[in-house]
Amino acid sequence: MYENKNNWARKVGFGFRPDDEVPSNIDVWNSNQLDGKFQLFGLNKVGLWPEEHNFSIEQRLNRLHKHHRYIEKTNKEKISLKEKKLLNQVSKRESDVHLYDVQKLWNSAIYGNDTFKQRLLHFWANHFTVGGNVNFRNYVIGDLIHNVIYENLDGPFDDLLYLATTHPGMLDYLDNTANSGENSKEAINFRKIGRTAGLNDNLARELMELHTVSPAKNYTETDIRNAAKVLAGWGQSLTDFVQRYNELKIQKGNPIGNMSLKEFTLSPYIKNKAEPGKKVIMGKPFPAGPKALRKLTDMLAQDDFTAQNLSKKLAIHFIGENANKSEIKIIYDAWKASKGDLVKVHEATLKVTRATRVKKFLWPSTWMLQGIRVSGANFMKENKSAGGFGGIRDDGTPNYEPLGILEEIGHSFWASRQPDGYSEKKLDWVSTEHLDRRVRIASRIFNAGPSRSGEEIANLLDFSDRTKVAISKGRNSEEKFIIALCSSDFMEI
Amino acid sequence: MINRRHFLSAAAPALALSGYPVHGFTKEPVKGRIVVIMLQGGMDGLLAVPPIGDDDLFKQRKALVASNPLKLNPLFGIHPNFKNFSKMLKSNEASIVHATSFPYTARSHFEGQNVSQTGSKIPFSTDTGWLGRAMDVAKITGKALSLDAPLLIRGAPAFDNFYPANIGKTQAPQSELLNLIKNTHDGEVMVAIDKLSQVSMNSPSRLRARDSLSLATKAGESMREINGPRVAVLTIPEFDDHSSIGSTTGHHPKLFTLLDNVFYQLRSALKEQWDNTIVLTTTEFGRTVQENGSAGTDHGFGSVGLLAGGLINKSSVVSNWPGLSSKDLYEKRDLFATIDYRSVCAACIEAAFKLDHDLIVDKVFKDKKITRIYEHIFR
Repeated sequence: MYENKNNWARKVGFGFRPDDEVPSNIDVWNSNQLDGKFQLFGLNKVGLWPEEHNFSIEQRLNRLHKHHRYIEKTNKEKISLKEKKLLNQVSKRESDVHLYDVQKLWNSAIYGNDTFKQRLLHFWANHFTVGGNVNFRNYVIGDLIHNVIYENLDGPFDDLLYLATTHPGMLDYLDNTANSGENSKEAINFRKIGRTAGLNDNLARELMELHTVSPAKNYTETDIRNAAKVLAGWGQSLTDFVQRYNELKIQKGNPIGNMSLKEFTLSPYIKNKAEPGKKVIMGKPFPAGPKALRKLTDMLAQDDFTAQNLSKKLAIHFIGENANKSEIKIIYDAWKASKGDLVKVHEATLKVTRATRVKKFLWPSTWMLQGIRVSGANFMKENKSAGGFGGIRDDGTPNYEPLGILEEIGHSFWASRQPDGYSEKKLDWVSTEHLDRRVRIASRIFNAGPSRSGEEIANLLDFSDRTKVAISKGRNSEEKFIIALCSSDFMEI
Repeated sequence: MINRRHFLSAAAPALALSGYPVHGFTKEPVKGRIVVIMLQGGMDGLLAVPPIGDDDLFKQRKALVASNPLKLNPLFGIHPNFKNFSKMLKSNEASIVHATSFPYTARSHFEGQNVSQTGSKIPFSTDTGWLGRAMDVAKITGKALSLDAPLLIRGAPAFDNFYPANIGKTQAPQSELLNLIKNTHDGEVMVAIDKLSQVSMNSPSRLRARDSLSLATKAGESMREINGPRVAVLTIPEFDDHSSIGSTTGHHPKLFTLLDNVFYQLRSALKEQWDNTIVLTTTEFGRTVQENGSAGTDHGFGSVGLLAGGLINKSSVVSNWPGLSSKDLYEKRDLFATIDYRSVCAACIEAAFKLDHDLIVDKVFKDKKITRIYEHIFR
């Protein structure tokens, strides 16, 4: 179906750039997409992404800690307005980390040669949604996306699931940081002094409902509660982990011993909050202790309902919402045969997508990034006069525009939102305002100096005659370009 | 503080104005107005409207009861943060329906939100909303003021939306260009672009602030106009308080104050049109009767609905109270819902759009089991 290689690269990736070498053998390209090694691209010039702009989880938590200290200072201490301003500035600089993360995601989509992997990254980042919060969670969302999800796209789903579940961002976002066993030492101590502590089932519920088996499995509320008991003890609240560390230090019996602040924030399991004893979930026993969680996520990852749920989700994401049962089954069979080896699963996804006739209405961000990439628009600001699209400061650091644009088109992975992530349904993205945003974005892309014109894009991608006629009627090159990007041929592939 | 950055995301306050009457379409445009406030996340009905006359409340809940609820009758009180709403209750402009829910018990936000908007018992079984279908039956066209088109009003004829963009260095697209783009599309996209080209010629007043209160004011002002929208849908997020929910003060009580002010803003902005208006809240489910370990409540079943507007003549708390002793609870943990909230929605549609109950049951909810409780709310 996708004989036009440029269209195929759009169906499963972000398309080919004008300076990309279109592969002579698409099968070789496909298999390279699955296990090739790729380079990440620069910040303000097309080159390697600077190492100093990759942030480890430790660096992120340290910056967050500093941010909290600044807030604490401005709240508690009597300081002058000037000092306050300075503190605000410094704390803002600490939070720059998420702007780099956004920029990295854009650059990888626009310049990366691992274009299928980049699309997979967006899919899985949406599957493991962590809603943003400028003051704290935004520090770590990029870690989940770039360091955890991207790095585990070619391994077993078991690993990805466990790492996403125990990620500080996820533990914070779904309230597991407030989850402690009813019979944990902490809960018993707290009850003595009249404070409440006990189970919070939010993460346990979404782990089963959204991330793995789905309600089709017919698990019970008791299963959810027992899963919450397994999860009890995992996670530190990102809002106040410093305060919490200090509290625990002075608590009777010092439950964290000599643990340093760094160790505390990075080892998210606190024994004192854990529920003792055996738990039974969906008929299977789980022992006390931190190892039970890996057992639980492994069990859920290997459940047949997880294979069903995720095969369907992948099919809908790449093929389209009308993906048929036999298409879903090919992905499902690969999942079952490989026990959730994501390389095999993704390979099957590519294969079945290659043969489909079903079209996908692209997410706003996928559409936009394809528009920049395929047209060869100048996203990076290589020098002052280059203009660029996406706003890079003169000192080469990113500003808020890329994030702002994603929010404006209603599609940012850093936005505050619900844990089910962004919809895959076309109707949820079709409104006059969503289409207004697309016309405006297309105009911005045009003004960032694309090397391909509207007509060239139409010819390259074999647009329908009616679209070509509409493009020819555009009154100037900008209108022609906008019509090409906003046509059904470009929005739906 | 909620800034506009948060607005555009899925879990942010949002406003959709809808239902502009079309001249010549019906003999006389519908006078009534409906405002639905969707409380996203699941509101704790027992904290909002505590049954203070039920001793079991205090046995089941240790901390999560406000210390000074305002007494409404021997059984019910209301959280003290509902200052304006209490005044509306006193002046016979508001009512409460308690121990109620949409017919959904599986405690998933996403399924619950879907059911509360489609009005269908089976989650994700239909692509239109109950209010959209009601507008279709009443022949009111749809126009929303939001980036997204809320499911609740999908299904209304000629559905459309408007929301000002904020992307630097761009201008509203011109209708000539939009017409060319339209020619490349079919179906829903074509219809939406067509509407957009009409909007760009006749742009409504600009919406500036996008927080809940400004949206409520905007909604009221627009709906006050003779030919203004008949339907508004406001979303207030963040009710999913699993931890540190607060009792007299705290996060949930803060949301009560916000909701209370939204009622007040609507009333003030609607002015004389308040008399033709009914405002109702919806939420996907209530929360557990007992608090969880982190001073919050988890997903439950029965909750409360708050209603206000000039279409109400006499205030009341409508409830078939199931009790709160452990044996009375749904699955031994949740407040039982003894009133299907779709009956409340049906009564509001009947009051505002003057549609016959049987027609609403037949065409809007497609479920004959929905009973008529109009007399209890709009007597």
